[in-house]
Amino acid sequence: MELRLGLALPTPPFDTNGSCSSSSSSSGGVGGGKKRRCFDEESRVGGGVPKTLHLLVWNTNRRDDGDEPRDLDDNSSSVVLNEEEGLVGWPPVKAWRKKLRRHNGRPNNNRIAAAKNSCGGCRASNSTYVKVKLEGNAIARKIDLSVHRSFESLTATLMRMFDISEEHQQKSFRLAYQDREGDWLLAEDVPWGTFIRSLKCIKLIRSRSC
Amino acid sequence: MHKKTAFSFPDEVLEHVFSFIQSDKDRNSVSMVCKSWYEIERWCRRKVFVGNCYAVSPRMVIKRFPEIRSIELKGKPHFADFNLVPDGWGGYVFPWIVEMAGAVPWLEEIKLKRMVVTDESLELIAKSFKNFKALVLSSCEGFSTDGLAAIAASCKNLKELDLRDCDVDDLSGHLLSHFPDTYTSLVSLNISCLGSDEVSFSTLERLVCRCTNLRTLRLNRAVPLDKIANILRRAPQLVDFGTGTYAADLRPDSYSDLAGAFSSCKELRSLSGFWDVVPDYLPAIYPVCSKLTSLNLSYATIQSPELIKLVSHCPNLQRLLVLDYIEDSGLEVLASSCKNLQELRVFPSDPFGVEPNVSLTEQGLVAVSSGCPKLQSVLYFCRRMSNEALVTVAKNCPNFTRFRLCIIEPRTADYQTLEPLDVGFGAIVQYCKDLQRLSLSGLLTDRVFEYIGTYAKKLEMLSVAFAGDSDLGLHHVLSGCESLRKLEIRDCPFGDKALLANAAKLETMRSLWMSSCAVSFRACKLLGQKMPRLNVEVIDERGPPDSRPESCPVDKLYIYRTVAGSRFDMPPFVWTMEDDPSLQLS
Repeated sequence: MELRLGLALPTPPFDTNGSCSSSSSSSGGVGGGKKRRCFDEESRVGGGVPKTLHLLVWNTNRRDDGDEPRDLDDNSSSVVLNEEEGLVGWPPVKAWRKKLRRHNGRPNNNRIAAAKNSCGGCRASNSTYVKVKLEGNAIARKIDLSVHRSFESLTATLMRMFDISEEHQQKSFRLAYQDREGDWLLAEDVPWGTFIRSLKCIKLIRSRSC
Repeated sequence: MHKKTAFSFPDEVLEHVFSFIQSDKDRNSVSMVCKSWYEIERWCRRKVFVGNCYAVSPRMVIKRFPEIRSIELKGKPHFADFNLVPDGWGGYVFPWIVEMAGAVPWLEEIKLKRMVVTDESLELIAKSFKNFKALVLSSCEGFSTDGLAAIAASCKNLKELDLRDCDVDDLSGHLLSHFPDTYTSLVSLNISCLGSDEVSFSTLERLVCRCTNLRTLRLNRAVPLDKIANILRRAPQLVDFGTGTYAADLRPDSYSDLAGAFSSCKELRSLSGFWDVVPDYLPAIYPVCSKLTSLNLSYATIQSPELIKLVSHCPNLQRLLVLDYIEDSGLEVLASSCKNLQELRVFPSDPFGVEPNVSLTEQGLVAVSSGCPKLQSVLYFCRRMSNEALVTVAKNCPNFTRFRLCIIEPRTADYQTLEPLDVGFGAIVQYCKDLQRLSLSGLLTDRVFEYIGTYAKKLEMLSVAFAGDSDLGLHHVLSGCESLRKLEIRDCPFGDKALLANAAKLETMRSLWMSSCAVSFRACKLLGQKMPRLNVEVIDERGPPDSRPESCPVDKLYIYRTVAGSRFDMPPFVWTMEDDPSLQLS
């Protein structure tokens, strides 16, 4: 059952045969990303163009390839879709719901527990900045995890951040993290991927002779 | 010569008449009739709502309305709820508190949404407003239980302390113990978002006991089930109750104690909480179910059969929040049991799972639309949808005011025809003539925006993600939606053309958010230069936008109208496009 668009308003016809490039639909979701691109040549815009200020008169009669942001595909920030890491802020469930999971030590049901916590499931689904504390310092810092791909680069950055320049000093610290369930673990026990996915915040702890 | 007509009233009479006019819109209209009405009105306005805290400065508000008793402010854009607004963007309430502390000492009520509140702000509130009565913080952050303790300790006339969905730093300060023993005025307390704050149960019970006007009490997860009975018995006048964790090892006598406690609450109309539900204890609430109008089970991880049993006990339900564990079968029961249902929200239990974990589809939504004639407001997360279902829903519910559909996988097509869902959403806007709020999802072309621009004349807020093909889509919306106030867009191929062609429209709206779209830095600068009454904020954590070519799209764009000019509290990753007086068009 098709909706018929009965538009009475006399508006200029839009030749939508224009140069709309398929810029940001590079990685499609379900359906293969193959959207139908044929425009009805007679389609008109409902409602009038505002009568006051235009900074640009709407006119797609000429091909305006030059105006299209062709460098879109080169620009990684505009394509948020990243199949591995998941989308930031999607699906739109409120981030705070996962915080209420923080203090629960008794999951009723593993699947449900994971579900409850799933808002924090993909580390990259939230902001990539995490808190970093140095044991003994009152003021925490924040670090952008998205620029790191290994423990080495992360620890190097942390050492710089907290001014720990001496080799022997550096060796006296160990990297610990708090996971979604509220437990503190040593980062050295897990692979990078697991660490990134499950961490909530990081702490540099002084390693005792244990 | 100033001629007074026979129809002019003394100011006191006008003021008395105006006191019956409560709505902001009407008050604004009154103030525009003539200068003398403007003057009278501004002195007797008691409540102010500022939808965007950066649209106006606190000084301007207080200067115009020196006698306000209540202020409501909103800060961050809505997409901040989903982590799209980086930390530190703004929305600080402190400057407002400082201004009001000096100029409006009789302030009674502060309501904030998505703002950064600090302990310093809370302490200043506690110190400055002698007759302070109500603090409502919704989705706020930046403060700890220390700040709240100051409020509890100092505000003798406090009636309402409502922390909804806030991110509070729990310093385990035993918040409730800061209410003095002489304090009895509490009417509404919502501490549901407090995490591990250990609640001293004896303190809570004493507080509940002496505050005989208590109507709303929403506890946090730390309060176990076996403590609920004592609290309910001390507050049988409660209307709105939020449990803590709904789990414990209940002995049989404590279970019946709990059921008895619930049944003693004859006024109870709203229930929430229900963390960690043990299904066996749910029947304890059956005595109150027949009168319940609002039920929030969105934390209750119970399966469809239990949900069905519960829901069938609640024939007067008007509002239901539930997880998708309810499944289509549960929604069918809801449709047949709850004929007064007005609002339904179904949340995903496993939002990041690729495969569906429950049998919740478009069928459940269709069933509810068919069975519940008063349904007005829907928020529905699901994994598949069809145009046919949407058209059916639209025809069943022409009274929708809010329709928010989230199909979890972006760009999901109609599962039956593999077509875009343009026609389905088109039907929604065509049949639901009073629609005020709409959220789109699924596979959508520019056509859906054409329908929206044509039909959605009362639409005030539109949320769009992963939709559209070209600028034409955005143009349809900006040029067609006459009532549009808030537009938020992410990951759509909308660029400069539609935005610049509809620049004037932006001044008629509260705000526009666009992230991961195709708006160039050049266009942002142009808008900022030519539209002095708009703040055009470019938010980009990659670094200064002018370190990249002008044609490069910006990461995030937030445009809002303002009479306060550029703000001064921007973090390093936010740039406001400056006005250029020489380039202004007349």
